[in-house]
Amino acid sequence: MSPPARPARVLVAGFPDTVASFLARQLRGASVEAAPDAAAARALLAGGGWSLLLLDSAIAGGGAAGVLAGLSDPPPVFLCTPHGGSGEGALLHGITRTFTYPLDRQALVREAAALLGLSGPAPPVDGESSEVAGAGQNDALAEAVRQAWERFRGPVTARVDAIEQAAIAVLEGRLTDEARRHAEREAHKLTGSVGTFGFAQGSRLAREVETLLQGTAPLGQAEALRLTDAAVALRRELARPPHPTTPRPRSPASEAHSAPRSLPLLLVVDDDVELAERIAMEASGRGMRARVARGLADARVAVADEAPAAVLLDLSFERGGERGLELLAELAAHDPPVPVVVLTGSGAFADRVEVARMGGLGFLQKPISPSTAVDAVEGVLQRGRQGRASVLAVDDDPLILEAVRTLLGPAGVEVHVLGDPLRFWDTLEEACPDAVLLDIDMPRVGGIELCRVMRNDTRWSATPVIFLTARTEAETVQRVFAAGADDYVAKPFVGPELVTRVTNRLERVQLHRALADSDPLTGVANRRRSDELMGQLLHLAVRNKKPFSLALLDLDHFKRINDRHGHGMGDEVLRRVARLLERGFRAEDVVARWGGEEFVVGMYGMDKDDAVQRLSEVLEQLRAEPFTLPAAEPLRVTFSAGIAQFPVDGGDLPALYRVADATLYQAKEAGRDRVLPAGWTAERPDPAQQVDVVVVEDDPALARLLLHALETRGYTSRWIADGREAAEALTGSRPPLRARLVLLDVDLPGMDGHAVLRRLARDRVLERTRVIVLTVRAHEAEVVQALEEGAFDHVSKPFSVPILLQRIRRAMVI
Amino acid sequence: MSRRILIVDDEDDIREVAQMSLEMVAGWEVIPARNGEEGVRLAAEHRPDAILLDVMMPGMDGPATAQRLREDPGTAGIPVILLTAKVQPADRRRFEGLQVAGVLAKPFDPMELANQVSSTLGWPG
Repeated sequence: MSPPARPARVLVAGFPDTVASFLARQLRGASVEAAPDAAAARALLAGGGWSLLLLDSAIAGGGAAGVLAGLSDPPPVFLCTPHGGSGEGALLHGITRTFTYPLDRQALVREAAALLGLSGPAPPVDGESSEVAGAGQNDALAEAVRQAWERFRGPVTARVDAIEQAAIAVLEGRLTDEARRHAEREAHKLTGSVGTFGFAQGSRLAREVETLLQGTAPLGQAEALRLTDAAVALRRELARPPHPTTPRPRSPASEAHSAPRSLPLLLVVDDDVELAERIAMEASGRGMRARVARGLADARVAVADEAPAAVLLDLSFERGGERGLELLAELAAHDPPVPVVVLTGSGAFADRVEVARMGGLGFLQKPISPSTAVDAVEGVLQRGRQGRASVLAVDDDPLILEAVRTLLGPAGVEVHVLGDPLRFWDTLEEACPDAVLLDIDMPRVGGIELCRVMRNDTRWSATPVIFLTARTEAETVQRVFAAGADDYVAKPFVGPELVTRVTNRLERVQLHRALADSDPLTGVANRRRSDELMGQLLHLAVRNKKPFSLALLDLDHFKRINDRHGHGMGDEVLRRVARLLERGFRAEDVVARWGGEEFVVGMYGMDKDDAVQRLSEVLEQLRAEPFTLPAAEPLRVTFSAGIAQFPVDGGDLPALYRVADATLYQAKEAGRDRVLPAGWTAERPDPAQQVDVVVVEDDPALARLLLHALETRGYTSRWIADGREAAEALTGSRPPLRARLVLLDVDLPGMDGHAVLRRLARDRVLERTRVIVLTVRAHEAEVVQALEEGAFDHVSKPFSVPILLQRIRRAMVI
Repeated sequence: MSRRILIVDDEDDIREVAQMSLEMVAGWEVIPARNGEEGVRLAAEHRPDAILLDVMMPGMDGPATAQRLREDPGTAGIPVILLTAKVQPADRRRFEGLQVAGVLAKPFDPMELANQVSSTLGWPG
């Protein structure tokens, strides 16, 4: 059958986007559009020209009846209703066919194709045998699997959290059997799923975790470390792209402009036409309409023409950003405000604060891929949609449900109600509520059982559950909390109590969402966010051929701090470290906490030696500010860190993580309390010993301070207190000691500094070794003399360690 | 001939990929079910040619679901394939009593799942 001259138009109303995109794929030759709620559906239907309406009976904003009521000339309607639904479908006129959940998608496609006169579902399979499909089909499947992974990556990766939490709990000696079983279950699910998406190694790692957690044998430090390692490896693995798949098909740009008005409009304001067009194309491929404005004047015309759902504004074009900021302010003042995501060129970090002040909701740095830009826009649009919180109330008493609706509705809460607990699961998944209200006593399935099931599913384990109960005796209350409830309200309830308790929970949920990007304890970026930011910095480094350094740092003996001084102290330490890191690094560096006592810092444009220096300064500050404890010695805290640099130590984030991690391990092995660059090798016994720095200084306290400062930066060092001894060690045809640098005190026993320096010059040691002379005071004559004798530099006492180290680095590098 | 397969798995990601895989590679009709109860009901309603059943599910798990399917004369004859990431000796004994047609390992390769099902059931492939 040949396709009709005008493509059939199918409206998919009240379904998740996946259903619409599934139908668009399957119904070739039809144009499929989506309406999220009843109002959008009605607006689209009013325009006419539809061949089929696929309608969810419980569509938001009035249900199916709300969409169909009073509609003149409706298209054929396929209504999808839950099992044993209220019979609403039967009451409505003009329903061509009713489908029940779970949707039999194949049947749906078949019947839709028949009704529309299309040749049938794609891919065309005759169904006569289960032959292995041709290559084209495999590609299509690979692509479909890849897309499914995009959708499930978040929830699947979240399962790793349980493993990490279990590992931390083991380290802190507080792993409950329940938490262990939970982590084991999560690992089991990972084992069984991630391999399917192309992460065979991920499945192996998860199986290792599962095996470790099985049984009840007590877990020790070693197991905890293996768990942590496996969890870290799993995260890295899942952050990679899955094994090679076919490239994503592109939809033609023209669709962007012909799409119907109900789709959200994205206005891209950028004079980089190529980038703007690519973003527009990406947006149209994801169910948005896009319009491009090349300048601010264009943008103002576009906004006046039709207020966009979101604006992507490039501030780096035209001279200065001031005029762009003006537009930003105008959009924020628009009624309703237009959300704006700002794009800037590199080096414009100072704008960040200004943009936030002017009401910008997102900040992206160029260069940027169109998909990342559209991700950010989607995030902003989503936030807008999620504005209204929703609850699901389950009670077999219709009066109670009505009361809940009456009380919470005016408080701005969207209320879904359910009278039949057996349909709980389906309704929960469809409604996706922010909180659940459960009656405790219901026929067949009680609220407590429903709550337990929710708590066993990661998707719902954090959703607040509030019980509605007529019984408030201690035993019942205890059962309610044991099942994982967050709160309860006694029936019959009085208005304010229910509203207060529910909104209280909902506010917390929203706070958590706002915090989804940051680590709640320390306020620095969390792991997920840091991965995104690191990706951006690395991308920038690649593009601009600049170095990028990544540091992994881990507090030393953190378990001991928790054990001896309590978790409150441990938290205090973590917060202090986070603060010092934030202070010690530039605003454009990424500082994040990866959970436990592990932090990560990403530094764009910085090589690893610089990075070692910066991080060592932070370590010094941390060490210098002991934590005061009541009735105990002050607590000194240190950390160990490993730093890897792009591109010398690795070409992508996983490789850099791996190298930094191995270097961190070396730092721990070498005695903790130090920052090491990748490629560092421990001092090896050698007949002619080569060290980085020889400290020739007779004051033992000062020498120890210097040695410590050097060691913690990964420099090998040796201390000699006597001038003559030093001269003998460093000179001769086969000197027992070779150094890149000598720190030479002037006043020395045995032989004074000037004499040592002259010996080194005479024996040509200065050709391979530089000398920094430490003078007692900046006595000009003494300094001049030392420099004439061949010293590379001088530092006068008393000196600050950071300044000396800076000079040391300079002497070693130049 | 066209086959109709019921997939029972509580995990959305796996259920969806299995469904896509069987639909796209083999062209079978797939009915998804999210838990054992739903699986039992849809099996009785649709009488599929085979049932793929996840072992570990909250509520009624795979073996319990298989047992229920056996007890209903309407579904007793439908071959059941268990999907599991873990085959321990104790589980194996449990599986033996269920007279299932086979056990497939998770994770599965989406490209291969249809072939594995066909060969387990002795369907011409």
